[in-house]
Amino acid sequence: MAAGRMGGLCGTNFEDPFERNPLTLALSPSRGEGTKQRNKQDPTLMQIRSQVSMVFHLDKCIGCHTCSVACKNVWTDRKGAEYMWWNNVETKPGTGFPTKWEDQEKYKGGFERNDDGSLSIKSTSKKKIIPNIFHNPHMPSMDDYYEPWTYDYQNLFTAKEGSDQPTAGPISMIDGEKIDVQSGPNWDDDLGGSEIYAANDPNLAGLTEQQRLQLSSVERLVFFYLPRICNHCLNPCCVASCPSGALYKRGEDGIVLIDQQKCRAWRSCVAACPYKKTYFNWFTGKSEKCILCFPRLETGQAPACFHSCVGRIRYLGVLLYDADRLEEVAKLPDDELVEGQRSLIMNPHDPAVIAQAKKDGISDGVIEAAQNSPVYKFVMEWKIALPPHIEYRTLPMLFYVPPMSPVQASKPEDTIHHNSNNLFHDIDDSRVPMKFLANLFGGGQEGVVRYALAKQKAVRWHRRAETVGDIDRATADRMLHEANCTREEADAIYKLTALCTYEERFVIPPMHREQAIEMMKEPHEHRAETGFGFVGGQTRGM
Amino acid sequence: MMFAFEHSDIHSCQSWGESVLESVSSRRPTAALCALQVVAVLFIVFASARAFSQDTPDYYRQNCMNCHTVGGGRLTGPDLKDVGKRREAEWLINFLQNPKAVIESGDAYAVKMVEESRGVVMPIAPGMTRYRAEQLLKLLEAESALEKSQFEGIKISSKPFTEQDRRAGYEYFVGQKRLTNGGASCISCHGMHDISALGGGRLGPDLTRVYERLKGRTSLSAWLMAPATETMQPIFKSHPLEAEEIHVLAAYFEAGAAHSEAEPSVSRITFLLIGLAISAAVIFGFDVIWKGRLHSVRRALVEASSQRRRQ
Repeated sequence: MAAGRMGGLCGTNFEDPFERNPLTLALSPSRGEGTKQRNKQDPTLMQIRSQVSMVFHLDKCIGCHTCSVACKNVWTDRKGAEYMWWNNVETKPGTGFPTKWEDQEKYKGGFERNDDGSLSIKSTSKKKIIPNIFHNPHMPSMDDYYEPWTYDYQNLFTAKEGSDQPTAGPISMIDGEKIDVQSGPNWDDDLGGSEIYAANDPNLAGLTEQQRLQLSSVERLVFFYLPRICNHCLNPCCVASCPSGALYKRGEDGIVLIDQQKCRAWRSCVAACPYKKTYFNWFTGKSEKCILCFPRLETGQAPACFHSCVGRIRYLGVLLYDADRLEEVAKLPDDELVEGQRSLIMNPHDPAVIAQAKKDGISDGVIEAAQNSPVYKFVMEWKIALPPHIEYRTLPMLFYVPPMSPVQASKPEDTIHHNSNNLFHDIDDSRVPMKFLANLFGGGQEGVVRYALAKQKAVRWHRRAETVGDIDRATADRMLHEANCTREEADAIYKLTALCTYEERFVIPPMHREQAIEMMKEPHEHRAETGFGFVGGQTRGM
Repeated sequence: MMFAFEHSDIHSCQSWGESVLESVSSRRPTAALCALQVVAVLFIVFASARAFSQDTPDYYRQNCMNCHTVGGGRLTGPDLKDVGKRREAEWLINFLQNPKAVIESGDAYAVKMVEESRGVVMPIAPGMTRYRAEQLLKLLEAESALEKSQFEGIKISSKPFTEQDRRAGYEYFVGQKRLTNGGASCISCHGMHDISALGGGRLGPDLTRVYERLKGRTSLSAWLMAPATETMQPIFKSHPLEAEEIHVLAAYFEAGAAHSEAEPSVSRITFLLIGLAISAAVIFGFDVIWKGRLHSVRRALVEASSQRRRQ
């Protein structure tokens, strides 16, 4: 298995991803060799950093919420954190959690690009923070998340004798009173209440009226799942917005964290994160977010949501990127962002990149992990994994393989025959409109999404030709060719998608945290406590 | 500052001790005895440890000098020069330990003294014991024998008041000039006939006729030297007025005595109504300025959907 993996990765068929990308041609890392001083004017110079990145393969997600429950049990089963879902699973089309989080006209998350090409945070600025010092005007309300509740199980035992069975009614976890549940973190699951929720998905922008109607008509409706955690962005808006400097991006692996001692409850991060993945703990008065289970990563284990995923949709690995070009890329026009972000990610097999990485203090173990990273394959070699909403300009480092969806059921019979003759037509005729996926994963650009879907479909036809044999080999090869894919690459995609082992999905770099004694404690020992990752809990206030 | 805190702590402990004493003394003797023991222990722990560590002149400076001089004339309390000759020692020791009790017992001399000090009842000095009282009397005897006691206090100026003095007094009163030792300006708590707009503070009495009320320059100045009311004492104990400040304030108050007390320029009801109107305007203003704030997202979707259904 290992040999096969390596063959797919760096065998004779390996294509340098930079060759296909005009943006990065000028930045070919090999030109950085032999340079000693860093000079921003010279684009051949690099500053290599490592980032633990993720791929979620949506074609494999079954929407079971096991990841959410695993995360909840490990991290947010605490007072003040009841409503938080560091990991949640949304149904698309749908409005997600908090409701309509993608609508930045309302939530003001992320960056906006000014006319002069500079970036500014949408929700706050030095000028805005003083007039808004007592009130952050873009905070989601409890109703936009939901009022967390539990059930009055005691009533099952203590109810007075009556003519009917006693029930365990819902009670609020905020005030302990009985509540009439109005919404929940996955209230629109599987298109529940779709005329309220699915119909208002912000990704429907740009769809024709007919396409919108199709999405909700009985024969043609479709949905897929979108599991979400913190994207541990390269240009995190939460970090940029914090007035206390409590948020930081860990140098060695790029995990974005909130220092619970420094947080002063400004909640700027809550408003600024366009993915709404920082949450305010009303009990401790501190903000919290996904920590990518760093205590687990540091002990060589996959994060809880990754580990528990029954569909095995999640991949984790290191990417090496050029930190010197971050600013330049974050300021690119919308339609160049996806390619721009790819241009930041460096080829870990390139000797020049390796040399520079070593110079920049990245250990051999991390470089080796980067060379085996499944994320690098999905994002850079195969280019079938795409960042969510890159137009928010935070450069998310969690990538999604866009899901295949059934072809519209306009041809009741002979579907397979028809499709095999006109593959690309079928992809554009998928029930999920291409524009919808482009809004979600392509920064509005359909090309990158079509490329990813075409390649996935070609892999299926290729494997069908190999294993079933009812497809003509020449047809399969033609499809591969049209999808810019070789047989070897298709086999590699197939293996990492369908037959992947734990070690292939999670290539966890050595963290070298030997000296950080406080991190060596058993994380489960501190379950249900606040103050994870630190000795002792924090107290409210200053 | 730190000392002031500790000081008042001791004081409150002691008054608590006394109230226990008073309440238990009316009950059965055994219970009273037990309680007495407890109080005695507390007394030793909280008060005595401090009190005995000071020598008597320091004790006098901290607790007595605000109201009494030795040979400097009366302030709030009488001049203590030769006090041992005016009353017998036993009476004085009793009085020192509990002035209120002696006054309430109807003792004629004590009642007369209260009248002279315009109703100010001498508080019990913190850490006062029989031993302490005896030591104080010895100190006073020694100081009285001296030609010029160290406790003679500030001489009250007898310079005539000038227009300039009155002007300076006004400036100190309204806070245009800061008091040298950092005390709060009079206007924080007091009103005066010529304070415009909403008038001065309402916590203390209007001071327009204070010159008359305190019976003239000497006693007014003495009061200002060491204000003896519960509210003013803790403030001005650590921030006393300077002699010059007392002089100009007295000049200002003397001029004020010719006027009648200030009528509040607005009645309380109007004041309240104006306040409510301003609050409402501010809230409305906030709503306008932050019009673009995030209103509930989900509820709006639900309402829009149910409206569509009704149509």
